[in-house]
Amino acid sequence: MKSNGKLKQRFTFSDPERVEQIFSQYSDKKSATLPLLHLAQSQEGYISNSVIENIADLVDCHSAVVMDCVSFYTMLYTKPQGRHIIQVCQTLSCSLNGADALVDHVTDKYEIKPGETMANDRFTLMKVECLGSCGTAPVVQINKEYHEGLSTQKFDKLLESFE
Amino acid sequence: MPLLKIDGKEIEIKSGTTVLQAAEANGIEIPYYCYHPALEIVGSCRMCLVQVEGMPKLQVSCNTFVGDVPPERKVDGKYDMVVDTQNDLVVQERKNILEFLLLNHPLDCPVCDQAGECYLQDYSFKFGNAHSRFDEAKRVRPNEYLGSQIVINHNRCILCSRCVRFTQEISGTSELFVEARGYNSKIAALEDKPLDNLLAGNVADICPVGALLSTDYIHKNRIWNLKEQPSVCQDCSVGCNVDVFSQRDQILRLTPRENHDVNGYFMCDIGRYGFHRFEEIERVTQPMVRNGESFDALNWDKAIEKTADLIKKSNGKTAGIVSPFHTNESNFLLGLMMNGVLGSLPPITKKEITYQSGFRISADRSPNRRGMNNICGEIVADLPSEIKAQAIHGLYILDDGVDRESDDVWKEILAKMDFVVVQTYAMTALARSANIILPGLAPFEREGTITNDRDRVQWLRSSLPKKGESRADWEILMMVMKALDKEEQTFADVGQVIKVMGEKFPAYKGLSFFRLGPHGMSLNGKASG
Ligand code: SF4
Ligand code: SF4
Ligand code: FES
Ligand code: FES
Repeated sequence: MKSNGKLKQRFTFSDPERVEQIFSQYSDKKSATLPLLHLAQSQEGYISNSVIENIADLVDCHSAVVMDCVSFYTMLYTKPQGRHIIQVCQTLSCSLNGADALVDHVTDKYEIKPGETMANDRFTLMKVECLGSCGTAPVVQINKEYHEGLSTQKFDKLLESFE
Repeated sequence: MPLLKIDGKEIEIKSGTTVLQAAEANGIEIPYYCYHPALEIVGSCRMCLVQVEGMPKLQVSCNTFVGDVPPERKVDGKYDMVVDTQNDLVVQERKNILEFLLLNHPLDCPVCDQAGECYLQDYSFKFGNAHSRFDEAKRVRPNEYLGSQIVINHNRCILCSRCVRFTQEISGTSELFVEARGYNSKIAALEDKPLDNLLAGNVADICPVGALLSTDYIHKNRIWNLKEQPSVCQDCSVGCNVDVFSQRDQILRLTPRENHDVNGYFMCDIGRYGFHRFEEIERVTQPMVRNGESFDALNWDKAIEKTADLIKKSNGKTAGIVSPFHTNESNFLLGLMMNGVLGSLPPITKKEITYQSGFRISADRSPNRRGMNNICGEIVADLPSEIKAQAIHGLYILDDGVDRESDDVWKEILAKMDFVVVQTYAMTALARSANIILPGLAPFEREGTITNDRDRVQWLRSSLPKKGESRADWEILMMVMKALDKEEQTFADVGQVIKVMGEKFPAYKGLSFFRLGPHGMSLNGKASG
């Protein structure tokens, strides 16, 4: 389906069984909203309008209600992200231990500011609140892994390992 | 029934009543924002905090329910709940909450349309602090359109979510949501689904502050300059109760007036913005008589005399045509004058629209078809053949100012007439074809009753002054009647017309403006048939 010259595809879950299973865990449909959003994000990389419409249909509510929920959580992305998501903790311990330098490093080397994604989609940079590992500050989460006690050099080497 | 002690007052109330409702019903003021009687309770604004004995923290009174408690837990051996709405803690908390709500508020009441009817203003004045301790920079956001007629001023919004709940629960259209969280939260509409339903105007009414504004009224006037007059919407057969806000002879806005037997708390945008129609219409404000292709003005005496002459000369071959837009009284008087009316102007019907909450816009877009049918039972369906059969050659039409495209049937009827008298407030196509035009009143100028499609009779009060030389429709009909030597009927006011009408139509017996009051009365089906 082409509209405005852009390819517009309707989102559907690639794993309907998982969807069924999620629904079976709750007594009312609406409760499945969050897990479905996570599932959709793991499939698509972000929550598109089409995802929102699809989930709204599935849980029997309006798109605005799903959108309300999506916009509440910072870990649900409404825009496409890079292949690897760098989340630098910016709360007290990490900040005191040089988190700013880590952010600046990425900005200098890959030319992306917090919130931005590289043109080739390799990295997305984000500043986040406390990751709950303050004892090993500064902490950076890349995709799902924590990397602790980082110096700029260690961080630089680490980043090189992500394609 | 549970026994509540509130501010030292003992009150017996129904189990399941909230403290806020109990207080309100007993004349104790508790300030509130997010609570609205038509919407689900969310208890999010914290404005309504009160002290409940036995509870360590202040409680939101909008979401605290009074119920029976077992004897051993009764306070002082008899109270199911003891509430204090005035103590120092509550007073201090109210100040704090207001200070929070005003953190980012621009304090721009002098240019805010809500000023004068704003709960932020009123409560600040009554319960708030004169000063804020916040000296950081305020968060500033530009205004946005949520829909084509609704603008949001984010800086004034207190995030009570009334507007969001309205779209979820009342209109069921759900265009609005709270975007993001905490300090970043704001009211937003989906990009591809703006707030454009026919109930959208209500969100500006239920917004307790000046955040939601109707583009129709924005920066037009100040509320304290306007005259407020209760009336009834005449754009469909529901007859929503409204307040008309006007200045001199101009309506500035309509807002819904609470009536649980008709419209609840709301009205639709067709009715809300419908009054603009009267601004565009070419008004007739003087009696006129045809002179070739144009009209000559003449005075009332002459106009009435000429009208009566024409009717007399036609030897009973003049027919009365009523309208589903006119009041019961005008339609009734025309019947009285012509010994029964013959037909009516065509009613206007569109699709009925019903919303999730049950709010309804009637398919019948004329306000008084039911009343007209009750009172003019003799109206014929097939007007052209009846005109032919009775050899009618003159018409007296109660025109309603609605510019219908005259269809061929009507054109044919008019072409056959020797004369047509049109009583109207607007220069409609019909009026243009008249021999005599008698200037009556426009809908919000009239006084009288209309009957809605569920048999409820409601009182229209005139909200605007008459224009030019126009006169009340019942008065014009009475003058013509007099000139026709039907001397026995003189009425001092429209109230007397109602009385006489009641004598002929049992269902309407005993009605008076006094009995109808602000909310009208149901005929309980007495009038059908
Ligand atoms: S716009 Fe008005 S009604 Fe909506 S959340 Fe803000 S203050 Fe409440
Ligand atoms: S529903 Fe009918 S009576 Fe009510 S506001 Fe709309 S048009 Fe007027
Ligand atoms: S401050 Fe960075 S993990 Fe807690
Ligand atoms: S009115 Fe009770 S919390 Fe808002």
